[in-house]
Amino acid sequence: MDLQYSPEGIYVREIDLWLDPQVSKPAAWISHAHSDHARYYSQTVIGTTTTLEIYRMRWPVGDDRSQSLEPLDYGQSRDWNGSRITCYPAGHILGAAQVLIEYKNERVVYAGDIKLRKPLCGQPTEVIECDRLIIESTFGLPIFHFLSSEEARLEIAGFALECLQDGATPVFMGYPLGRGQEIVQCLTQAGIPTAVHGAIAKYIPVYEEHGYSFPGWKAYDSKQIEGQALVVVPGMRRQLESAGNNMRVAYVSGWARMDNARLRSGAEKLIPYSDHGGFDELLEMVERSGAKKIDVVHGYTELFARQLRDRGFDASAPASARVRNSEEESMQAE
Amino acid sequence: MTGSMDELARILDQIGNTSSRNRKVSLLAVWIRTQTDADLMRAVRFMSGQPVSGVAERKLSIGRSILQEAALLATGIDAELFRFCRGEVGDTSETISLLLHGKTANLPLSLEAAESCYMRLFASRKAADKTSLLAEVLARQTALTTKYFLKVITGSFRIGLQQKLVEDAIAQATGESLVNVRAAANRSGDLAEVAVCARRKLLHTLEARLFHPLEFMLARPLDEMAELPAATEWFVEDKFDGIRSQVHFDSGKVRIFTRGLEDTTDAFPEIVSAFSSVRGSGIVDGELLAWQNERALNFTVLQKRVARKKVSDKLMAEVPVTFIGYDLLYRDKELLLDMPIEGRRQRLELLFEGAPSQLLISAQRRVDPEEDIESSFLAARARGNEGLLLKRTGSLYESGRRSASWLKVKRAYASLDVVVTAAEQGSGRRATMLSDYTFAVRDGERFLNVGKAYSGLTDDEIRELTKIFRSIAKERYGKVTLVEPQVVLEVAFDGLQKSPRHKSGFALRFPRIIRWRKDKKAEDADTLDHVKELYERSLTQ
Repeated sequence: MDLQYSPEGIYVREIDLWLDPQVSKPAAWISHAHSDHARYYSQTVIGTTTTLEIYRMRWPVGDDRSQSLEPLDYGQSRDWNGSRITCYPAGHILGAAQVLIEYKNERVVYAGDIKLRKPLCGQPTEVIECDRLIIESTFGLPIFHFLSSEEARLEIAGFALECLQDGATPVFMGYPLGRGQEIVQCLTQAGIPTAVHGAIAKYIPVYEEHGYSFPGWKAYDSKQIEGQALVVVPGMRRQLESAGNNMRVAYVSGWARMDNARLRSGAEKLIPYSDHGGFDELLEMVERSGAKKIDVVHGYTELFARQLRDRGFDASAPASARVRNSEEESMQAE
Repeated sequence: MTGSMDELARILDQIGNTSSRNRKVSLLAVWIRTQTDADLMRAVRFMSGQPVSGVAERKLSIGRSILQEAALLATGIDAELFRFCRGEVGDTSETISLLLHGKTANLPLSLEAAESCYMRLFASRKAADKTSLLAEVLARQTALTTKYFLKVITGSFRIGLQQKLVEDAIAQATGESLVNVRAAANRSGDLAEVAVCARRKLLHTLEARLFHPLEFMLARPLDEMAELPAATEWFVEDKFDGIRSQVHFDSGKVRIFTRGLEDTTDAFPEIVSAFSSVRGSGIVDGELLAWQNERALNFTVLQKRVARKKVSDKLMAEVPVTFIGYDLLYRDKELLLDMPIEGRRQRLELLFEGAPSQLLISAQRRVDPEEDIESSFLAARARGNEGLLLKRTGSLYESGRRSASWLKVKRAYASLDVVVTAAEQGSGRRATMLSDYTFAVRDGERFLNVGKAYSGLTDDEIRELTKIFRSIAKERYGKVTLVEPQVVLEVAFDGLQKSPRHKSGFALRFPRIIRWRKDKKAEDADTLDHVKELYERSLTQ
């Protein structure tokens, strides 16, 4: 297949389909609902029901715009311009998916953002055999390896309990979609009273529809801080701190693998858990896929592609693929 | 039971994951209580960057290249990737630890075994031997242990884990007072020995050691002459604008330490040679000055001589340096800190009698009851000095304290030592540098902004500061970079006003940066209380 990479996204020429385009296109596959993957108004949008639901919350339409949202859920296939496309789960955030495109005897998989570890919420990744794999490398350096979801759950709840016992308020910074809800889920499942910032709380009903429960969570109220855990968006830390609250801040992120994340995030407790795969996970995915050709599209693309080439894969980092930072990464600059 | 390096690593990791000083101290104190004397000494030495008793970390001669080679051997990655990873992480020990994940045998390591590893590394002469030895060690122990095992070698410990934290923990663990622990550490310079003596209630037996810097006694600022209490109870000297330093000497051997307790001996060979001819042993507190025609040259001249490993004859001729002594802390095996100033002065005068011309003694006299200190201050300024230093009669040398027994009179209106909290990109010629600084005064553990100024520093200094600011950057907002409060600047200003714009509630009028106080740390910065006092006083005038 002729895959064309540009700052506008990945274009599969033969079947006229864009993968996670950055601008409005006639037809788009969106791998998950993070804003750097699902954005603007392509005329036809294919993705999982969950992804489309969240996408619609983030990109609402008025009467002046017609857009066709066409769900394709895990295990489902459909024809598309002479190809067959199939949806598989990607362990990233709720609803995240990989797409397999079969066209004239070639199998191409676009993995989107992905990890191999079992996610806290959502389906685990299924590795699909293919000829060519398009994979991300947000954490494609051998320094990155992350906690399992169970270890992360224990760390998150453990830190919150320790703070509350010391009379301090535990504060977790999470980006609005994905990490935020997962942290709330860990805390509420452990019976810890939890207040949630509106930007994160607004997606909780979507998670509840999928069977995840968040017993007893409350909306964040700046006048009621003490005696509970707070889950807020990163930008709120300074505001909370300058109000002179006795707080202890935790940073749950892949970047928390490095001690310098303390300076960058302002948190004292680092919990290295990510929705992206660590180096070994990405490598394992590549190996298990059996793909001969690998396109590395995001993060440490050149270095990761080189690592793959050293291991005998035909891997490259197409120039100018994906220019925007992922939601998680943007926390770094905050 | 033998102490475990793995457990020490876990404790240090927990200490890293908490910002509360109290929790850090108690984590360490609890651990200290469970250790044998020998292991306690080992651990304390490790935490002060001393892998082997009497051997500083740099003596191991393990630099970046040996660390890198050993890491490549143990992890199987290539040099380019290693360098890139280190660039992302910023710390060599941490990088190696992260790269070792899942590649180690995870065998336990005792503190004793760690020490013997260091000893073997120290003993092996060839770089290749050190490398293969280190690579073996890396493959054996856990990755977390390696992180801290290596921090002992790289010296990042010495900077990262403040000695004061360890002192606090020793006090808490042994029930000795912090004052006693600190005083003993100051005297002996051997914190490992202090830890064990504290446990046995033997701190008083620790004696002063030469060639280990004592904490300096510091003066409080006196902003108005009229405030001087009981004028007759004071000695007065000129306050010099040089490098405060402490010279240790013993029959030809000489070391010079700065206020930051750094060894600056190599930068001042003429002072070393002058002291090597003084008989007996001693510790003198004084000031290094660029000196010509019997007066001090501007501090910026002296700066050319600072922090050099080698000094050319040409530079020595161009910037001649003199040491002006003003206190004697130790003489011929006797520690003089608790002797009143008059006795110390007498012995200092004896010591300087017939000394080489590079060694001068600061002129000191009793304040005359009729004396107009304002005009004495102006006279000192006319001599090219910074102002006056007043020392109370009968006072002792209060090492490590900013005491009310020493008062400094610096300027007609005060200048402040402030801490930089944010740096902003300049424009034009300085577009690539961080040249505009927002600065703060201290309020307990917080730093509250009092103003902002364009740099009055040289381009070289700004370039150096830019590097530092980038390395301690916390957050960035457009052109403004928030930084860890570490860099101290001396700022002059024309007045104070209330200001809702700054968190301190005050703003300096027309602040200008006089100089970068490399010798000071954030905790030495002026306080908000001091600013309030200055403000109150300005209202009543």
